[in-house]
Amino acid sequence: MGLDHWPYMLAAIAGLTIVTVATRASFFMLPSQVQLPARVERALRYAPACALAAIVAPGVLTRDHDIAIGWGNDQMWALLIAAAVYARARNMIVMMAVGMGVFTFLRLVV
Amino acid sequence: MTAVRDTWIPPVDKQAYREGVRAMMPMALAISVWGVVTGVAMVNQGMSVTVGLIMTFTVFAGSAQLAVLPLLAVGAPLPVVWATALVVNLRFVIFAASSRRSFVDLTLRQRILAGYLNGDLGFALFSQRFADDPDRGSPVQWGYFYGGAVVNWVAWQAASVAGIVLGGFAPEEWGLELAAYLALTAVLVPMCVKFPAIAGVAVAVVVSVMTVDLPMRLGLLVAVAAGVTVAMLAEHLHGRQALRRATPASAGTEEVTT
Repeated sequence: MGLDHWPYMLAAIAGLTIVTVATRASFFMLPSQVQLPARVERALRYAPACALAAIVAPGVLTRDHDIAIGWGNDQMWALLIAAAVYARARNMIVMMAVGMGVFTFLRLVV
Repeated sequence: MTAVRDTWIPPVDKQAYREGVRAMMPMALAISVWGVVTGVAMVNQGMSVTVGLIMTFTVFAGSAQLAVLPLLAVGAPLPVVWATALVVNLRFVIFAASSRRSFVDLTLRQRILAGYLNGDLGFALFSQRFADDPDRGSPVQWGYFYGGAVVNWVAWQAASVAGIVLGGFAPEEWGLELAAYLALTAVLVPMCVKFPAIAGVAVAVVVSVMTVDLPMRLGLLVAVAAGVTVAMLAEHLHGRQALRRATPASAGTEEVTT
């Protein structure tokens, strides 16, 4: 299993393609009477944010399954600064440049 | 000659199509940056160029592709991989529900293709442009939609392919996996506009870090369940003020993603 295992990857990709179509076309397929209840809509709105956080956080805040929050975690500081910049400027290109710039600075200079 | 009803794309108004192209053009650079990052991340983690190309031309969902990458890299069970992508993609269900009026009367294959192409940016532009349009689908609406979708698709795929082809040459110490996390953060930040969402995300962060040892990467789904529960609770406690519903476009990502 893993990224170099063909049958695993092809099965994964097939399922992921179905997930793309199933979510994006979901309500195009349902009869008009079927509405999205307001409560469900809000839960659907929170879920992707939580999922993205739950992917990014372990990736940046842990090393080999150990919590790695501290001064030595260059990725963490780069991401926090970039997120703060993005929250204000809302410009993804600037945000990426700041994030990678801070990371490279910390890695090479500090 | 096939009948009009039998095509993949409904009739489009040429002028509206050009308008859609022009509306999406300014976003093409941001789409491309995101595409390159996704392509580079895929091969940098060890995916072959061929598999990467298959993935970009089929899955066509940048945030979901980046999200499942760490799972695929450790060979997580496929149901976990799919569930993760599903959760990240749930925002598209809201998009589909809110733009269905313009598409629901199309033929099956036209709905499938339109849905497939209804990503973050296409949806944001479309719903801005036709917010006050009572038409239940028209060549003007479809033309505008496909104009934007074509620019989005071309910019995304060209950049992804470039990233996939070039990604193998980037040295590991550049830390390009950070670029992937930055790209995901760019989708995440605009979602954290109100207290319940911020509370849910905070809980998801803590739980996901604490559950990093769970087998099969199940910690991720545990974190999502905890985060959504807390967000719904926070919303309940926060009272009616939080219930004022934002427009779907403002809750999604204004900037970029496919």
